[in-house]
Amino acid sequence: MRALALAVASESPKVHLTSQTRIIAAVLALAFMALVLELIRRDRLQERFSVVWFVAGVGMLIGAAFPGLLTLVADAMGVRDTNVALFSIVLLFLLGLALNFSVTMSRQATQITRLAQERALEDARQQSASAENGGEPRERGRAGS
Amino acid sequence: MRTLVFVPAWNEQDSIAAVIADVRACIPDADLLVIDDGSTDATAGRAREAGALVASLPFNQGLGAALQTGYLYARREGYEAIAHLDADGQHPPAEVARLLAEVRADRADLVIGSRYRDPEKAESDDYKPTFSRRIGIGVFRFFLTLATRQRFTDTTSGMRAANRRVIEMFSERYSPDFAEIESLQLAVREGLRVEEVPVRMLERTGGSSFLTPLRSAFFIFKGLIVLLVGQFRPTGAER
Repeated sequence: MRALALAVASESPKVHLTSQTRIIAAVLALAFMALVLELIRRDRLQERFSVVWFVAGVGMLIGAAFPGLLTLVADAMGVRDTNVALFSIVLLFLLGLALNFSVTMSRQATQITRLAQERALEDARQQSASAENGGEPRERGRAGS
Repeated sequence: MRTLVFVPAWNEQDSIAAVIADVRACIPDADLLVIDDGSTDATAGRAREAGALVASLPFNQGLGAALQTGYLYARREGYEAIAHLDADGQHPPAEVARLLAEVRADRADLVIGSRYRDPEKAESDDYKPTFSRRIGIGVFRFFLTLATRQRFTDTTSGMRAANRRVIEMFSERYSPDFAEIESLQLAVREGLRVEEVPVRMLERTGGSSFLTPLRSAFFIFKGLIVLLVGQFRPTGAER
């Protein structure tokens, strides 16, 4: 482990991507974007949630095509090791995205609750209306109850 | 004063009819609403047979959402006072009537029924909690008192009475996750008069408690975060 760390540290701060890894990375990025497209096509993913994933796919593609950019970014961040810069950026991106989803989920949970409450109150109102009319409480056509 | 008594119920088919009958006998001048929180048993049907108006949530949404449904109904239908109690038979309606009397006399905006007569103790004559519960009770007492600078003993009590001001506030803002405690914090922060009244409570007649030690620990942890965050929430005056 220590030997590996030393080996990495002793390397120059330049990125060493062989053309092979670059091709693999580009193919993965394209496959990822194709997957996103396919999900939208099959209505499994709404367009408004797909933008961020497309941007991510494009980012991957750019990174594969111009690895020199990564070095620039790492320099700008003041990080010697380009890998660390890359992982930090990806990690922060995913963290932000996960938080964003939690916010979205919270909002939707509130909306679902309010919807359920309105439905319940409507239920009660109909019951009291039919009771006032002297009629029998209406049949409840709810499945699973 | 138009009064609504509501009872949140989740799978309480064994006790709901008796609770409804008791409420009718002890608080005859109040309307009664049962909020069926997505029960999978015969709760809604039995409540209806017992003559109560039933609002059925289409799926289980938790106690907070169920209680808020009651507050929402009270606001829409123009009730001036409400009381709510648990459906498991722990809360004698005669005691609920005492809480309502406090609200009707305008001595408080929100009245909590506390099972503790002695604020120093985590038990009372008719209530002997388990060890993990005792810890939870102590922790919540301490932190809620710290947060509100007002003494509370039964922080999670589901027996309460309230007036129009509280109805309007809780129908809009009521935490779905930690309803009992956060609502107290919110009410105090909004400058409402919150009062605790010692009441007699009974052993539950149906259902079972959901708390295991691990759940209790998680419950306590979650409660503390909720309280902490609640301290930084904007109040009505600031919004």
